[in-house]
Amino acid sequence: MSGTDADPAEEANLLAAEYVLGTLCLAERATVEGEALQDPVLRAAITWWEARLAPLAALVPAVAAPSALWSRIQASAWGTVAPPVTLFTSEADAPRQVLSFWRSTTAVGFALAAMIAGIAVFRPAPTVAPPPLVTALVPLNQQTPVFLASVGDDGSLSVRPLTSVSVAPDRDLELWLLKDGEKAPTPLGLLPASGAHLAVGTLSGHGPGKILVSLEPRGGSKTGLPTGPVLYGGGI
Amino acid sequence: MAYATTEDAGDLLAELLARCAAGDRAAFRSLYDLQSARLYGIALRLTRQPALAADAVHDALLQVWQRSSQFDPSRGHAEAWLAGLLRYRAIDLLRRRGREEYGLEPAEEADRDPDPLDRLAASEQAEALRRCLEELDEHQRRVVLLAFVDGLSHSELATSLKSPLGTVKSWVRRALIGLRRCLEA
Repeated sequence: MSGTDADPAEEANLLAAEYVLGTLCLAERATVEGEALQDPVLRAAITWWEARLAPLAALVPAVAAPSALWSRIQASAWGTVAPPVTLFTSEADAPRQVLSFWRSTTAVGFALAAMIAGIAVFRPAPTVAPPPLVTALVPLNQQTPVFLASVGDDGSLSVRPLTSVSVAPDRDLELWLLKDGEKAPTPLGLLPASGAHLAVGTLSGHGPGKILVSLEPRGGSKTGLPTGPVLYGGGI
Repeated sequence: MAYATTEDAGDLLAELLARCAAGDRAAFRSLYDLQSARLYGIALRLTRQPALAADAVHDALLQVWQRSSQFDPSRGHAEAWLAGLLRYRAIDLLRRRGREEYGLEPAEEADRDPDPLDRLAASEQAEALRRCLEELDEHQRRVVLLAFVDGLSHSELATSLKSPLGTVKSWVRRALIGLRRCLEA
């Protein structure tokens, strides 16, 4: 095959292949990823090469992962080092088990500690400053905010996305307020991926607490408490 | 037959991923138990640094938990999807933080099989890939394996194979063109 340099389609396909193969430097990788977001042909080429080269991963022998790795993943995924909590095994069990989850001070304590650690950079000095009226909602144990929540003087709440958020068609994000000292959060309604503005007075006299976002079945939690994982949180 | 077993494993993983998307933590734990050694092995081989490999598996599995709803069983095998997330994460971390003591030459290490392609699984995809890799010349086959399995970039390939960067880039491109022509046939 000759003249590859002159043919942009050929060049794009080989770039996709090099991306999947892994030979590109960091900047080139980022360029390909950025272009793939806009370009379905490049995306299709990447998928094609991924499927064709995937069997090579089997050439590498498995190695037992370090024993601490699971705890670390668990702590990042849901902010606790406690054993996994099954949130519900059947519809009938859901309310009781979820409630026991929220009453589990250990789990909530760790989750909140993780969240507060994650948003520490956005908080003013804790001793003298009033609670901030703007807070970043960040994934547990991570620092990149996903939503920005701001509370108006009138108690309204607006939440807007800082990055593109995608939710599966059969799921919805739901907003919650967990007041400090309380064990169970109060539902604030669904949170579309494009953001939400909640009515005047929603947060009047709320005191310090946390805004949480959980992943729920379409239409939101039917139990009045989160039934899915809490994805993001921030203090107010 | 090995192929059937791979398919069954794929079905189980796909089911676990669907349960993860519904927030089922026990399913996520099962997924971890089934896949962590495979993924860690891949990451360790790519990065050659246990801490970096653990970071890559951590980040990739966190992505799996948060994005399990994005897995589409109709578009590929669950194992390939997981390994793909892991490889990209490991390569990004590697490129960002650098190799700790680059200069070691993975191509000459003792753990390299004389014919590692024998270890490819007996699936149709793997058979086709093995046949097409065997059609490449030795340089071309070597750069594909060193890049995919050992995570060598263009410039690392040049250092490792003591060849000019331009030559190495050309081996890579010719290998990819040859593979594509063979795999499309």
